[in-house]
Amino acid sequence: MGDAIRGGPTGDATDRAALPVRLEGVVKRYGGRTVLDGVSLEVAPGITGLVGPNGAGKSTLVRAILGLVRLAAGSVRVFGVDPAREPRRVRSLLGVVPEDECSVPGLSGVEMVRYAARLCGLPGMEALRRAHEVLDWCDAGQERYRPVETLSVGTRQKVSFAAAIVHDPRLVILDEPTNGLDPLERRAMLGRLVTLARDHGKTVFVSTHVLPDVQSICERVIVLARGRVRLSGSIAELTRPAHPSHRLEGDGPLDELVRLLAARGLPARLEPRSGAAGTAVLLDPPGPERLGLVWSAAREAGVVVRSLEPAQRPFEEVFMGALREAERADAPEREVRDAAP
Amino acid sequence: MPLHDVGYRAWTGRRLGSAATVAVIAWTGIKLAWTSRWLRRLVFFAWSPALVFATSFFAFEQAIDEGRLANMREAARAGRNLDGVGMLGTVLADTLSGQRPAAIAGRAARGGKADPQAEIAVTRRIVWSRLLLAFMRVPQAVLLAVVIGLVAPTLVSRDLRAKAWLVYFTRPVGRLEYLLGKATILAALVSAITVLPALILWFLGVLVSPSVWVAVDTWDLPLKAVAASLALAVPTVLLALAYSSLTAESRIASFAWFATWAACWIAHSSLATADAIAAVRAADAGAAPVVADRERLERRPGSWGEDPFADIDETPPATARQLPDAQVAVGASRRFRWLAKAAGIDTSIDRWAWLSPYHALGVVQAWIFGMETRPQAVLPSLVSLVVISAVSIAVLLNRIDAPTRA
Repeated sequence: MGDAIRGGPTGDATDRAALPVRLEGVVKRYGGRTVLDGVSLEVAPGITGLVGPNGAGKSTLVRAILGLVRLAAGSVRVFGVDPAREPRRVRSLLGVVPEDECSVPGLSGVEMVRYAARLCGLPGMEALRRAHEVLDWCDAGQERYRPVETLSVGTRQKVSFAAAIVHDPRLVILDEPTNGLDPLERRAMLGRLVTLARDHGKTVFVSTHVLPDVQSICERVIVLARGRVRLSGSIAELTRPAHPSHRLEGDGPLDELVRLLAARGLPARLEPRSGAAGTAVLLDPPGPERLGLVWSAAREAGVVVRSLEPAQRPFEEVFMGALREAERADAPEREVRDAAP
Repeated sequence: MPLHDVGYRAWTGRRLGSAATVAVIAWTGIKLAWTSRWLRRLVFFAWSPALVFATSFFAFEQAIDEGRLANMREAARAGRNLDGVGMLGTVLADTLSGQRPAAIAGRAARGGKADPQAEIAVTRRIVWSRLLLAFMRVPQAVLLAVVIGLVAPTLVSRDLRAKAWLVYFTRPVGRLEYLLGKATILAALVSAITVLPALILWFLGVLVSPSVWVAVDTWDLPLKAVAASLALAVPTVLLALAYSSLTAESRIASFAWFATWAACWIAHSSLATADAIAAVRAADAGAAPVVADRERLERRPGSWGEDPFADIDETPPATARQLPDAQVAVGASRRFRWLAKAAGIDTSIDRWAWLSPYHALGVVQAWIFGMETRPQAVLPSLVSLVVISAVSIAVLLNRIDAPTRA
């Protein structure tokens, strides 16, 4: 059984019962293969990212939330409702954008969204009105009138997203929502997710491989690897360095700046140059009273300061670290399994 | 951004229930299926037999209106084709040729006075029932197999192929609603080519009859047509959907569907023919001549579309002169033997009917129309269809959401 690392905020029993998603000790096996191994997590309102390598169990986790798979152990609650017992009720609270392209062949984009709305119980005319409204919001344009199977990947993704939110769900689950989108569309899609969460109070649960997407929109993140939750928490917590430091970005002789700072009791090191600007990382936070020393040293060294802010670890580094840790933690177990006759 | 973009808005209206979900799945499926040009042609073509049967209804009512029923009885006894259409002649030949309806025969036996109107009413009920049964059993059952074979294989398999199951099972749609929705698509098409024309035939019969009170006399016939249509639809629709759910390739499901009908038909025909040959040989071996000849007439397998009497010398044997008049009438309708079988006139028990869905459906429909009441004739076919339906439901419930468990 894997370690249970609780993600998201924890509160009293009442708060937890009303949480959008709560999993406790979830185990799912396909034959002899354990895909989810004692997963416990909580998804709070806002945007939560689910990241993990291929085969980590992300899709199975989503299916468990939808009540589509029978669990070997553990429990799932969506807004306090058990999806295994009341799948219809749970699914009426959810909107899902699956990773796989799925459509009903022969329907146009707007018919597809309308069909999705009607399947969720919206009356006929209301479903059509909502379908157009949501497609307008997703900037689907006139392509909505073409059969879904003839649409570009990006437009199909928009239609799929529109179909997921047309019935005004409380929780939106997206599997790789930016797949096939160009940079502009990708940014627009992420913007829509932020709008849903911020302006409409939706809970957004994004499963993705694109780490910059996670870092740019997610308030919390859960790292899943080998069927277990390896890391979870807010992005700010996870990317905070072990030792607090500040990062200075600027142009000019940064090595001279590092030397001057060290001479004034502010040890610093130079990071490799990336792009036009170099980066100096101050190992110790200078504090307000010593910031003057930094500015004067920069002036003396002839460095134009672009920014000075608390340093953060790149999320990719955090993610890779979690995977390495998972590999190390599972190694003894794997050895035992491999040694077994 | 479009000028009319109002952004994303909340929705707080009342949501419809499961019945609406089933209706939505069915209606969308019908609309998509109707885009097939072949289906449209087939459904229109499926109405053409109704025109022929409508002629028979009209001819019968016209004969009653003109007081020619007695003449028709004589013509039937003489074995003449009565109306040029043949179909009505075959039905009437049996109905009018000495086999008086039980109600009238009972009254005559009690010494009651003959009531021509009552006799007409009872005769009409039998003639209409037989015409409707023949209509449902022969042209419509065959066309139904073709229509279902055209539409059903894609219904589930295409969803599996296009991963459309995610569209349903990530929304508040259960297996049962999905199944009912898909089945309703087929049931609607089946109704369009069976129950709807049958009801129109009945209505037409009422319109061309001398009195609208005929509708009261024959009130149960529309209900029987609906029940017969249901008996046709339930096992066939479930079987077709079960095949469709077993593969993502609709071609394979189509092949399985038509292969089932063909293989079962061939198996049934082979066994029935073997039975007939054995019966004839047994009769030739030394049974009493009159009984043998009668059995040769009565125990024909009655395979539709072929003349089971083809191997019998049409020259009446010497013993045939001893046959009662009723048998002469049966002989008169030989040229439409397939219709005699379909209309419930041929009274031989088809003991292999349960083997072929087509023949089993025919027997059950004859039971619904009251033309076949012997348990030994009905039960095997009924059980066969129930088993087909039950197995199909089990397969469907297991397969419909199988991808979600993969």
